[in-house]
Amino acid sequence: MKFSVCIKQVPDVSAPISIKDGTLTQDSDRMVLDAYSASAVEEALVLIDKHGGEVQVVLVGPEKAKETIRKALAMGAASGVHIVVDDVSGLDSGAYAEILAAWHKKSDYDIILTGKQSQDTDAGLTGGMLAWKLELPYAANAVGLTYDNEGGKLTVTRQGDSGQEMIELTSPCLVTCSNDMNEPRIPSLKGIMQSKRKKVETLQLGDLGLDPDTLSSKTSKTKGQGYKEVPGREPGKKLEGDPEELVTELVGLLENEAKVL
Amino acid sequence: MSKILVHIATSEGKIKRSSLEVMSYCKTLADKNSMTLEAVVLDPDPAKYTDQLNTYGPDKVYQVKHPIFKNHLNAAVIEALSKVIDQSGPRLCAFASTESAKEVIGALAARHDAAAIPDVAGFTINNGSVDAERPVMAAKVLSKTSSSSELVLVSVRSGSYDLAENPGNAETVAVDFDFDESGLRAVLKEVLSSAGDKVDLSEAEVVVAAGRGIKDENGRKLVEELAETLGAAIGASRAVTESGLFPATLQIGQTGKVVSPQLYFAIGISGAIQHVAGMANSKVIVAINKDPDAPIFQYATYGLVGDLFKILPPLTEELRKIKGA
Ligand SMILES: Cc1cc2nc3c(=O)[nH]c(=O)nc-3n(C[C@H](O)[C@H](O)[C@H](O)COP(=O)(O)OP(=O)(O)OC[C@H]3O[C@@H](n4cnc5c(N)ncnc54)[C@H](O)[C@@H]3O)c2cc1C
Ligand SMILES: Nc1ncnc2c1ncn2[C@@H]1O[C@H](COP(=O)(O)O)[C@@H](O)[C@H]1O
Repeated sequence: MKFSVCIKQVPDVSAPISIKDGTLTQDSDRMVLDAYSASAVEEALVLIDKHGGEVQVVLVGPEKAKETIRKALAMGAASGVHIVVDDVSGLDSGAYAEILAAWHKKSDYDIILTGKQSQDTDAGLTGGMLAWKLELPYAANAVGLTYDNEGGKLTVTRQGDSGQEMIELTSPCLVTCSNDMNEPRIPSLKGIMQSKRKKVETLQLGDLGLDPDTLSSKTSKTKGQGYKEVPGREPGKKLEGDPEELVTELVGLLENEAKVL
Repeated sequence: MSKILVHIATSEGKIKRSSLEVMSYCKTLADKNSMTLEAVVLDPDPAKYTDQLNTYGPDKVYQVKHPIFKNHLNAAVIEALSKVIDQSGPRLCAFASTESAKEVIGALAARHDAAAIPDVAGFTINNGSVDAERPVMAAKVLSKTSSSSELVLVSVRSGSYDLAENPGNAETVAVDFDFDESGLRAVLKEVLSSAGDKVDLSEAEVVVAAGRGIKDENGRKLVEELAETLGAAIGASRAVTESGLFPATLQIGQTGKVVSPQLYFAIGISGAIQHVAGMANSKVIVAINKDPDAPIFQYATYGLVGDLFKILPPLTEELRKIKGA
C-alpha cells in the first residue's frame, strides 16, 4: 500500500502577531509542519506498520520548506517530493490543488492523505479539490481510519455535523485528516539521523507543465487584500470571593445587566 | 450580477438556523444589488420546508428530492448541487459553514471552475467582486479575501448574521434527480450518534462548555447538571474530548465547531487560541477558572476566579430556583 501524504509548511500560529497598514508581521519567522498534515503523516505511518507499505510526503513551497519535509522523514516517511515555488504569496488552495494534481497524475499511489484544513488559513479546500481533479472517491474530516487488506477497502470514520459517519472507500482514494485522529509522534534522534539519508526529489513547476504566473493570476481565483484586527470584546468584570458570594453576584449580573436568563 | 443561490441545510426536519442567517443576509444583499434570491433544498421530502423558507423571501426554491439525502454522502450532494448550479447559473452560491458544506465546497468549486471562500465571518458584493473577511492564524486576525470569478462559493460561520424575516412567495422548481449509488467507490456504512447529539451545539442559545479543569466523572456530572438546569447544549475543549469524558462531536474551536450563543460558560477551560477561535463570538461569556491569569479571562464578560467544584453546585441550585419559578 502506497500512501502519498500532502504536507504544508505553515507559520507558527502561536507566535505574537501584529498588523500594520493591512500587512501581517509575526514576531518569529519560525515555520512548522502544519498540525493537520502531521496527523495525516502519523496515520499513514500507523497503517503501514500494521499492513506494510510505504509513505511518501509531497510538499509545495519555497526552498526553506525542505526542513518540513525532513521533519516528516524523521517521523518515518520513506521519501519526499518537494515541488519548489519560491513565492507562494499569490497562491490559494485552488493553486495548490492544481499543482498537487499535476504531480499525482504522474505518480503512483493507493491512498492520498491531506489535512482537513491547514493551521494558518483554515481553508479546508485542497483535499476536496484534489480529489475532484483526480476523480477519486474521498471523505473529509476523518477521525479514524482502518484498512482491510483483503478487499483493498479503507474505512473512514468522519466527524459529521452530529455524530460520526463510517464511509468505506475503495482505493485509490483520498482522505482529509483531523488532528483529533491521533497524536503525531515526535521524531527520535535515530529518525532524525536517518532522515538525512532519505531521498527528496526536487521538482520545478515547469517539470509539471505549470507556470507560476498562470497559477497566481488565473488558477488562484481568490486574492488576499490584507489583514485586519478581529473586533475586540468589551472588557469584562472579574469577580473574586467565596463561592456563595460569586454565585449571587453572577446570577444578579446575568439577570439584570446582561439579561440573558 | 444576477442570482444568489443559497444552500439550505436541514437537520431533524428543520432548517438549520445558520442557513436562515445566510438567507436573511442574502435577501438584503440581493435587494441591494438587484439580484434574484434562490434557494436549494436537498432532502427526502424537500417540499416540507417551503413555508418556512418563504418567511425569508426567496424568489425561487429548487427542490431536489431523493432518499439518499437522509444521510450525507458527498458524491450525491455534489452531483445534485452541480445540477442546480447549472440550471440556475448563480453569481454567488452561499452555504452555512456546516461540516457537510465544508466537505463538498472544494470539490464543487473545482468542478465548476469557481472560486471558493470558506468559513467567512462576513461578505459583500462590490462592483462585481465578492469581498469577504475570514478568520485566519487560529482566528487571531481577519484576512480580507476577494474574488471576481464568474461563480463564487462562500460558506458563512454560524452567528455571523442576524435572522430577519422577509415574507414572500417563492416559485418552486422540482429538480429531476436520479442517482445511481451502485457505481460509487464510497459507501456510507453507518452513522454513529452519541448522546450529546440531541441538542445542536452550533445552533444553541446557551452553551455550557467543559475543560480539563473538570477532571473526572464528578466534574462531568456538575457540568451536566448546570446544562440541564439551563436547557443548554454541552460543549467541550479538546482536552476533554481527547480524554473521552465527552464525545468528539462536542468539541468547540479551530478543529471543532464554531458556536455563537447568547450565553457561553467556559468551565475549567484555559482559553487557548484554538479554543477561543470557536467561541469568541458568543454574546455573554462566563468563565470559571481557579487561575486568575488564565487567558480565558481576557474574553470573559464575567470571570469567576475560583474552584469550579465549589462554585457549580450553588450556581446550579440558584439557577434552578429562578428557572423553576
Ligand atoms: C491545530 C490545533 C487545533 C486545535 N483545536 C482545538 C479545538 O478545536 N478546541 C479546543 O478546545 N482545543 C483545540 N486545540 C487544543 C488547544 O490548544 C488546548 O490544548 C485546549 O483547548 C486546552 O483545553 P483546556 O482549556 O480544557 O485545558 P487546559 O489548557 O489544561 O486548561 C485547564 C484549565 O482548567 C483550570 N482548572 C483546573 N482545575 C480547576 C478547578 N478545580 N476549578 C476551576 N478551574 C480549574 C486551570 O486553571 C486551567 O486554566 C487545538 C490545538 C491545535 C494545535
Ligand atoms: N503547499 C502545500 N503542499 C502540500 N500540501 C498542501 C499544501 N497546501 C495545502 N496542502 C494540504 O491540504 C490540506 C488542507 O489545506 P487547505 O485547503 O489550504 O486548508 C493541508 O493540511 C495539506 O495536507
